[in-house]
Amino acid sequence: MREWINKAVIGSLLLGLIVASCARSEKPKEWVYQKNILLDGVNPIGIANNDNELWLSDGDHNRLVSIDGDGAILKAIDSLDRPMHIAVSEGTLFIPQYGNDKIETYDAKGRFELSVKDSLDAPAAVAVYGMEKAIADFYNNRILYHDGQNWISFGHEGSHEGEFYYPTDVQITDSLIWVADAYNNRVQAFDKQGNFVKMMGQDQKMNAATGIFISDTEVFVTDFENDRILIFDHLGSLKQELTRSIAKATDLLIKDDLLHIINYRTGELVIYEQQEIALK
Amino acid sequence: MLIKEENLDIACLWAHDIRFKNKIMKKIVLTLIIGLLTTMGVTAQKSMDKFMVQVDGLGCPFCAYGLEKKFKEFKGIKDVKIDIETGDFSFNYPAEKELTMDAVLAQVEKAGYTPITSKIERANGTVEDSEDQKIVLNDKDLISKEVFVAGNCEQCRARIEKAAKRVKGVGTASWNVDSKILLVNYDPNHTSMENIQKSIANAGHDTQAHQAKDQVYSKLPKCCHYERVDQ
Repeated sequence: MREWINKAVIGSLLLGLIVASCARSEKPKEWVYQKNILLDGVNPIGIANNDNELWLSDGDHNRLVSIDGDGAILKAIDSLDRPMHIAVSEGTLFIPQYGNDKIETYDAKGRFELSVKDSLDAPAAVAVYGMEKAIADFYNNRILYHDGQNWISFGHEGSHEGEFYYPTDVQITDSLIWVADAYNNRVQAFDKQGNFVKMMGQDQKMNAATGIFISDTEVFVTDFENDRILIFDHLGSLKQELTRSIAKATDLLIKDDLLHIINYRTGELVIYEQQEIALK
Repeated sequence: MLIKEENLDIACLWAHDIRFKNKIMKKIVLTLIIGLLTTMGVTAQKSMDKFMVQVDGLGCPFCAYGLEKKFKEFKGIKDVKIDIETGDFSFNYPAEKELTMDAVLAQVEKAGYTPITSKIERANGTVEDSEDQKIVLNDKDLISKEVFVAGNCEQCRARIEKAAKRVKGVGTASWNVDSKILLVNYDPNHTSMENIQKSIANAGHDTQAHQAKDQVYSKLPKCCHYERVDQ
């Protein structure tokens, strides 16, 4: 009996070692440039993925367009007023309109105006997460957040923790609200009561942090004037800097494990893929 | 009633003549209408004043759309154009409203930006230009010099070059965003590198010989907050 127990313990230890060594053998990855896709006559500002259909806000032309894999326009939603950073939830597109201070929704039933309790001044972004919504209210230097029942507002003009200098993008995750604090050149994260939690990128000499995307492990930021993308971990440590083919990027997202970045100036979609880092 | 063949020919000729005259009349009326519409169009175009302002602080589409948004308060504004790179902002406005440049510049500042130069081409042919006081320079009198000027971006470039060109006696000025070197052609009989650097420092940019005042530097757009130069 004792011998059998000993064998079982040794077996478990060996199994544990094998599992641990397998976990350790997972190689680190980095984002690597894959290709550029030219967007015909589109100067994109925001990007969203609606059930595998990519939508872009084309602020210069007051419209939203959906595109295929080659960048060709499939559909368009016209007569908007400077649509900016858009969002998608359960088949509904949420469109912040900078020019008329309205948030419009678009789905199979048609176009509707989202009711917002407070007046906006140039909504630059909207984010949706389940029943939760957040709006980056550009000229008011604040974030409006709806927890599914009530709206709260947080932030005002300034450069200290919790203050903004023209917020241009927002994203909600499980426990945080992330904000692209564009002209403070940083990203800030808040809890769902609007309390400051952390910031990142303030030491990276960014010049207009206009767009963000938060994945499970990484924080992606568009550094508009410097033509680069900065990638941080969730604690704010810089992991990677992307520069190849980046030209006045305004927004980005991950779809099908590929990083999709939009260049406003050149009207391009730039694709990066993850590859294992070759160990020397 | 029987109609003789000869009379039939005459009747046909008469009918053909009427149709021909109708055609000519239609053409004349059409030409008159087109002419009238063209004249009205030209008149309508002529009744617009054209405003051109170079604006400091437009870094991204968010800023450009913001400026446009604030100018929507000017009812009747048309043909708004904004170039983010150069800061060139132009629009047309009904001449009968007699919009002044002061009102336009005040609105630019209200939107959070700084006007650098301004020009109005009035519908009546008159031109108001903030740079009209410039002196005429002779190429053979110009000399070239280089000087370091601190800055970050294309907006900085526009501001630095404008500040240099604003000095009477400066012909051309070109600043390189990578090397931070300003190449300036000027007439030493009218000005000096000292004056040029002072003008640039007054616009918010540290130079080799002059440092911008802190309060001016702090008012630059965030994207233009370069690393200060120790004098």
